[in-house]
Amino acid sequence: MSRTTSYPQSMPPTRPEISSDGPSSRPARWIELATSADHKDIGRILITTAFGSIFLAALELLLMRVQLAVPSNVFLNGVTFDRLLSVYGETAIFLVALPLIIGLLYYVVPLQIGSRTTAIPRVGQIGLWLFIFGGIMLYASFLFTPPEAGINPLPPFSDATFTPNNGVDVWIGSTGMIVLGLLMVSIDLLTTLHNLRAPGMAWRRAPLFTWAGAIVTWLFTIIAPIFLAAITMLMIDRLYGGGFFSGEEGGSPLLWQHFTYIFFTGVYMAVAVTFLAAIGEIVQTFTGRELPRKSFVYSLIAIALIGTLAWTQNMLTAPIPSGWKYYGMLMALALIVPFGLIFYNLITTVSQSDFHMRAPLRFALGALSLASIGLAAEIAQSTIAIATQLSQTYDAWAATHFTLIGFVVFGGFAAITYWYPKMTGHELNEDRAAKSFGLMFAGTLIAVLPLFAAGVEGQVTDSYRFFSGEGLDVWNLISSVGTLILFVGLVLAVGNLVKSRTEEPVATPDPYRGDSLEWLALSPPPAHNFDVLPDVRSTRPMRDIREAIKRRDDENAEAEGVAQPVA
Amino acid sequence: MSLFISLAGILLGFALNASSAMALSLNPDAASPGIEDANILHWILFVVILAVIVVVNLAILRAARPRTRAVGAKQGRKISQTKLALGLSVFALALFVVSTVFSDKSREIPVSTETVAGQVEGQPLEIRATGQQWLWRFDYPNGAFSYRRLIVPTGATVQLNLVSTDVVHSWNLPELTGKALAVPGKTNPVYFRADDPGVYTSRSSVFSGQGYDTMEIEVEVVPPAEYEAAIAKLRIDIQVAQDKVEAEFQAARQKADEAADQVKQMDSTTKLNETESANAE
Repeated sequence: MSRTTSYPQSMPPTRPEISSDGPSSRPARWIELATSADHKDIGRILITTAFGSIFLAALELLLMRVQLAVPSNVFLNGVTFDRLLSVYGETAIFLVALPLIIGLLYYVVPLQIGSRTTAIPRVGQIGLWLFIFGGIMLYASFLFTPPEAGINPLPPFSDATFTPNNGVDVWIGSTGMIVLGLLMVSIDLLTTLHNLRAPGMAWRRAPLFTWAGAIVTWLFTIIAPIFLAAITMLMIDRLYGGGFFSGEEGGSPLLWQHFTYIFFTGVYMAVAVTFLAAIGEIVQTFTGRELPRKSFVYSLIAIALIGTLAWTQNMLTAPIPSGWKYYGMLMALALIVPFGLIFYNLITTVSQSDFHMRAPLRFALGALSLASIGLAAEIAQSTIAIATQLSQTYDAWAATHFTLIGFVVFGGFAAITYWYPKMTGHELNEDRAAKSFGLMFAGTLIAVLPLFAAGVEGQVTDSYRFFSGEGLDVWNLISSVGTLILFVGLVLAVGNLVKSRTEEPVATPDPYRGDSLEWLALSPPPAHNFDVLPDVRSTRPMRDIREAIKRRDDENAEAEGVAQPVA
Repeated sequence: MSLFISLAGILLGFALNASSAMALSLNPDAASPGIEDANILHWILFVVILAVIVVVNLAILRAARPRTRAVGAKQGRKISQTKLALGLSVFALALFVVSTVFSDKSREIPVSTETVAGQVEGQPLEIRATGQQWLWRFDYPNGAFSYRRLIVPTGATVQLNLVSTDVVHSWNLPELTGKALAVPGKTNPVYFRADDPGVYTSRSSVFSGQGYDTMEIEVEVVPPAEYEAAIAKLRIDIQVAQDKVEAEFQAARQKADEAADQVKQMDSTTKLNETESANAE
């Protein structure tokens, strides 16, 4: 910062003088974060929010499970349970899954493609703040009326006639801001991916996680406007006398189901694509082997495309033409092919190699294990004859929760522990990570497996109590105990993330000898990411760089070795 | 790593434990022809799913085993990706064909073996089920109706026309029909034929508000003669109740009229008195 100095008129300076107080002091860290348009800051805020919200979602799930621990419990009343259920659903989808995948992609992908910035950073920044205010709006509603119309507030129940209080308006407003915000972040990332790849970073050389970034941002750019349209229509119905979703006035309640299930199924698939790609990166790094790229990438694209087109799999009991139902069944069963290929390749690659078991790989294998149970159980859920029996029961709930806990929680911890040294500049405590993994894994199995049995016995979801004498008591009690274990494990795992930042040694830029470009940047990366950008010549640019350095060192040593005897 | 193996033990123990409950009891009391097909499909898919889960998780465990000696690179990948994709496609297609066959069979409209009053010969017996917060109303062909409790005859195919007057409800009766949504403005027919008398209870399965957990369904299956008698009696009962209400209403109205007349008379007398007193002044 320069300061103008006034000189006496009589003595003009003989040469221009520059005087300065030195470089301006950096603003406080929180001011930097709050005003930053840097993709790393925005990504970190999104990821931090997601891990904070995992705790909230788990707490809400735990409270609901305490209520459902014994038959005819009176721990919570019906309204409180409905509110917890609605807020749990919104938190898990909109404040955990979505910001986690978008935040991870937004942080890592620009580094992986060797970009110094994103293409339109201000759009990402506006997106972040829309997201944050959406989240604040949801939790501020606990002071007034939280949403209480269920995880997916189906009209006409969510119309003003049947739910006149402001809960549904809060749901509309907060999900709208969150989805719009994350849509803007994805648009920024999508533009970056198409315009700012480093020289030589052709799509055929892009890392798997970068591919996931392209697939997820494209998918989100398609499904998010559908959701925004649906909630806008619901808002018009509620506040301005519209009739989009009311059956009597020429609208259709099923239109809402089509719109929202396209979105929710798309989110499910975006989550699967992101974390399968993250697990792919982890497996490649720790085993030192390359996965079959073509097969892996085509499978990811197929999951996003076919999976989202399978939305009618959620509507097998609705009065829609049977053609839609068989179509949903076909699409859902077709997913066996891409998921099967990816699981086969990941597992055989690990199986056929030597590796060091470290926290990211541990969480990655846990994620594959849990997701395999959930995805396999979805096979039955997607057939018409069984969906008419088991949909809307805890069997369906268990299948969804196995997949989503597997991918979001375990895949999320795999990804965060993998990139933890890069993001924070510190190592992660492996010991605590392993212990928390054990608790969470056991907790998830104990919490969700019995619900398959409860669902087959006929227990319907979303009800705040169940009654004894229907064969449900044991399963629910076991599940509640398991949820408590899962909760404790989660608290330990999140605590480990917080504690390791101060307690653990400083990390090197490339702690695992990874192959993609994010490991070229310092840990944590500076604002401009890279001092020098390499020419990318293969799918493993960091290995090329390491080899080039080794060659140069060898040559130097050789030169010295030749030179020495002469001296 | 021992941790992982012990957890795998828990997993398998659980899978087998829950499996006995799952496999055997999707619907032990299936009472309509279509439900049997759903049961068979569930059995087939259950075995397939359990096999997939066990194979995948054993493979993960094997992959995560502690390495006592170096794994050589000689264990190269043997299956090509194309062959694997083809194999998986055949597997998925086979599942689709099997599921379609059984789903079609379970959706077939059963043939009536009996004909009861209000039913056209060869056509199903049409009963309308109206979902409303938080009760089901059933309208029988003879004009009788009932709430919460549905009476159907054995042997006759019943076409239950699901409608809703307020929000989306889900009809749910695992033993006879399975689930189907009642959506306002649409009619969603489900068909079943109950062959044995009995009482089946269940509850709605789509969240519909605060009374959702009390929205029970009770279906009583009785022989045709009993059914005819029951709905005839229901109609008479409704007529009697209607007459009683009508009579009470008429009585109340007559009483009100009389009271009004009295008030009128009293009014006129007071007015008379007032005019008299005014005149006196």
